[in-house]
Amino acid sequence: MKSAYLGIDVGSISTKGVIIDDQNNILCSEYIWTEGDPIGAVKRLVRSLAKQFDPSSWQIIATGTTGSARKLVGTIVGATIVKNEITAHAVGTTTFYPEVRTILEIGGQDSKIILVENGVAVDYAMNTLCAAGTGAFLSSQAKRLGIGVEEIGEYAARSQHPTQIAARCTVFAESDLVHKLQMGHPREDVIAGVCNAVVANYLNNVGKGKKIVSPVVFQGGVSKNTGVVKAFEKALGCKVTVDPNGHLMGALGAAILARRGKGRKAFDFAVEDTEFHVREASCGRCPNNCEIICVYSGNTLIDAWGNRCERGAVH
Amino acid sequence: MAKQLHKEIRMKQISFPRYAEYNCCIKYGLEHAFHNVRYIMPPPLTRQTEELGERNSPDYVCTPFKTLLGSEIEALEAGADTVIMTHGACRLGYYGELQEQILHDLGYQCELINLSSYATGKRRDWLRLLKHVDPKLNLPKFIQVARDTLKMVEYVDDVTAEYYKNVGFDATDGEYRKAYRKFLASLNIADSRADIEADYRTVKREFQEIPLDKPDRPLRVGILGELYTVMDAYSNRNLEQKLADMGVEVHRWMTITNQVVHYSNVKNLEPKIKDLCTYSMGPTSTANIWFAKTCAEHHFDGLIHVKSANCTPEIDIMPVLQNISATYKIPTLYLTYDTQTSDVGLLTRLEAFYDMIATRKKALS
Repeated sequence: MKSAYLGIDVGSISTKGVIIDDQNNILCSEYIWTEGDPIGAVKRLVRSLAKQFDPSSWQIIATGTTGSARKLVGTIVGATIVKNEITAHAVGTTTFYPEVRTILEIGGQDSKIILVENGVAVDYAMNTLCAAGTGAFLSSQAKRLGIGVEEIGEYAARSQHPTQIAARCTVFAESDLVHKLQMGHPREDVIAGVCNAVVANYLNNVGKGKKIVSPVVFQGGVSKNTGVVKAFEKALGCKVTVDPNGHLMGALGAAILARRGKGRKAFDFAVEDTEFHVREASCGRCPNNCEIICVYSGNTLIDAWGNRCERGAVH
Repeated sequence: MAKQLHKEIRMKQISFPRYAEYNCCIKYGLEHAFHNVRYIMPPPLTRQTEELGERNSPDYVCTPFKTLLGSEIEALEAGADTVIMTHGACRLGYYGELQEQILHDLGYQCELINLSSYATGKRRDWLRLLKHVDPKLNLPKFIQVARDTLKMVEYVDDVTAEYYKNVGFDATDGEYRKAYRKFLASLNIADSRADIEADYRTVKREFQEIPLDKPDRPLRVGILGELYTVMDAYSNRNLEQKLADMGVEVHRWMTITNQVVHYSNVKNLEPKIKDLCTYSMGPTSTANIWFAKTCAEHHFDGLIHVKSANCTPEIDIMPVLQNISATYKIPTLYLTYDTQTSDVGLLTRLEAFYDMIATRKKALS
């Protein structure tokens, strides 16, 4: 029986899972939409991974979770390590690209930049207060234009004269986009303009003051969009590498961290059949009114969080 | 009995909005310096305070304005009839006037003592304020109490600094935290200089006695930023405690002691940062740049810059901090707070920052 490691990355838009061996080879992987239901998404993910997995020769001995639902999902799957997505991405990318100097990452709701020196992250930034220029913006614009988010790159490639879109703010960018369409700009040009706007916004917000040095690796869901990749290459004036598994990098990082970690616990595929539910309670012991999240497996409380102080601790 | 009650009623019920851990000092100072003042302690800052402030403030004003206004409203609801608002070197100087207007518009029949209108630089204007609060002011007594209060502020800052340097390495089950909280609680009921000194000695002794599990070269992070948010634990969502809990030695220069009581040395700091900036950019910029540079020179593992959204002076110093970060190769995290800042988002960024500086330190050593 050989050892395998599971990494799960539950983001705002998509849920990713990989199982790797000791040499970081991917045994199985899956990428599905979260659809606002992290628990359901993880169950679907596990079901689909189980189909690809060969339990007769491999055994999962450690599990890592990352992404915005890492804590909830970590509780459900019994993770041996729960890590933030910035560290997971840095670890994943530096493992596969030891020479990388800059990691650009644009996900559904957040975007980050990680600067690397000698294989070690030395600086990072993440968007605060505003999600302009992330995947959510692209997918809402695609919907408005009546095309699939996957088709954006293809449309953008056909454009000869990308339209200028004012992208300081997602909401105003949308009104500007509508205005440009009504003025008669072709759809291709507007779409290419949106891709440029995402890049300009990223570099002006998250990348502000950061020295972007080649080799550059671009990942996260938006990296699958060739229009944005081209816009990045044009803006930075250097080649931007997109890994075929770039969308799985967070999950890969989580799996690698699980392998490096000390915790060992056999993963049970039975989670897909277990009934989990979450109840929200308001603490009410002071005017903070902390919202406490209680996670139940069947009728047993398995974990709770959300309290700011010990008054709201659930025993 | 009736006479006592009559006296109580005639007392001025003065409050000052919540500000980090300094309210116990303000209470001591006001109640001891003036014979006719009772201090109303505003309730601790909570989400409710922020919501109250947010609802009644202009949208784009900085977050401390909202928090302070919320705290003032809560103090008035708790029975205060007079509120003191501080002055300051940035927009803060105008806040008192605007808050007075807002409070009166809300229907509070209160007096707002706006320190801005007395901070003219002339001693006789301050005297005018003191006489206004207490016509029968005993000036020598006031001076003595003012000295004691400043000493108290120094003690609070000294103990707080020691606390955040060591609490992350507490080997016991939370004894360090308990000793600190007990110190702050006992200052609230201090009645004399002797009480203050005794409380200070007790906590210092307790800190000495609690065993620490601290490595020789722990991770050290310098925290700097805008005056209110960087000091007030509620406003920065317990930034220092969160960092310390990860096992970090947290250093912060920005305190009332350093910035207000002993800050006659801006003239001395400016030459020290001549290579980084030529002009002063705001009330705290010189000190913050100097502190960032000092931390970098002392090989700190990271810097965290804290500001509230729309704080212009602190936005202005960010390019200088980026230069420091590049020159000295020190990772810097920039945090912007507003009333919507979530605990979860902050924790994600802090965890990532910790992972980064910890891995980096291991790789470098």
